[in-house]
Amino acid sequence: MPAAATISPRIHEVPDDLLAAIDYCYEQGWTDGLPVVPPVVDRVKAMLAADTRPAETVIAHHPATGLDLSLHAAAVNAVMAGCLPEYFPMLVAAFEAMDRPEFNFHGSTASTGGSAPLLVVSGPYADEIGMNSDVNLFGPGNRANGTIGRAVRLILRNVFQMLPGISDKSTQGNPGKYSFCIAERSRGNPWPLLCETQGYPKGTSSVTVFAGGGFCNVENHGGNTPEQVLGSVADAMANYGCITLGQSVVILAPEHMQIIADAGWTREQAQGFLFAQARRSVDGMKGVGKYRDREYDTQHGDGAHALAEAGFVHRGLRPDDILITLGGGDAGGHSCFIPSWSRGRGSIMQHAAIANRK
Amino acid sequence: MQLYSPLSTTPKRKAFRAPALASIDGMRIGVLENGKLNAEEMLNEVAALFVARNGCTVRTLASKSNASAPAPSNTLVQVAQEVDFLLTGLGD
Repeated sequence: MPAAATISPRIHEVPDDLLAAIDYCYEQGWTDGLPVVPPVVDRVKAMLAADTRPAETVIAHHPATGLDLSLHAAAVNAVMAGCLPEYFPMLVAAFEAMDRPEFNFHGSTASTGGSAPLLVVSGPYADEIGMNSDVNLFGPGNRANGTIGRAVRLILRNVFQMLPGISDKSTQGNPGKYSFCIAERSRGNPWPLLCETQGYPKGTSSVTVFAGGGFCNVENHGGNTPEQVLGSVADAMANYGCITLGQSVVILAPEHMQIIADAGWTREQAQGFLFAQARRSVDGMKGVGKYRDREYDTQHGDGAHALAEAGFVHRGLRPDDILITLGGGDAGGHSCFIPSWSRGRGSIMQHAAIANRK
Repeated sequence: MQLYSPLSTTPKRKAFRAPALASIDGMRIGVLENGKLNAEEMLNEVAALFVARNGCTVRTLASKSNASAPAPSNTLVQVAQEVDFLLTGLGD
């Protein structure tokens, strides 16, 4: 992304009164509905110090509006969201990943489907900045999780002008549109971390971005085999309201993961099981009006995965369409499934290394 | 107190409308459907009205594999050479 923004950032002179400055931000339409930290010059400069590249460096481009995201604009919105400078590399990496055409962040943020970019951080960086990967994983209470996800939303709103009701046409929206940012749990994780499977060098952290269509809790306190636990997850993935050819994110609770790991299952086995089981019959799909020949042919035509069973529509195209890892608190049989945006493969998850550019 | 604007610093993009056709009678129509349910059917119905009422001919049916992404530039370049106007649509 070598292009550079060409207009100097505008400065607004406001009275030297913090509460008045917060109100001023509201009046300008710069908020997500919650108060923001006024982006005073000194704080923005401190944020920018976390990346040694020129402030006008463009890190993402919006294909529909032609608007660019510079490091400077990212820093302003990060300050407003309440981020600390040490969070900035992850925010930058997330937008560098979302900038790839395959992610299609215009469509995924403008669509009636109402998805929100889910950020999953993997590797030592998450602990270094104090992210939560444990109890109340998707809930409030952690500054890094809360404000990095919020900064994503503020950038989409302020920089790319994805304004609710105007350019963001979400039918019902999604609570993740305030913030949707978690860390992968490394403590007690029996599987390689995502950053390792993604091929990054040891010690390099990554952020994975996924246009998430919501949050589906998967409760199972009675199952005590991988098939029972993952069978519950597969059923959630295949519900008629969610099933598409799209990708999936599954975050397994430690209780559920222990059952699966104690049986010796690898991540690849779990992915294969979920792909095979998360399916609906063609007749069933026709019964709810969601069947399309074109989609069936995509799944079962040339290059079809061996686990795609004739007469059924599976969720996704292959097992590695399912990101699956560990997260959440020690107690409780509550995992979750996060469906992809809307009806298919309009957005493909991406990942990027979190670079230290100080 | 000085606040930085959180907006993009990209210069406003200049956009231009194509000049209106003097007449659509006898023109060549292209159809660009976005892959959504019933999109092709609806656009073909619209094209049929132009055929019936204005003597137009349907020359091209192009499809997008991703409804929410811009049409590939090579698709637009090809279609532009074959038709006088293009029918497309958004929504569900």
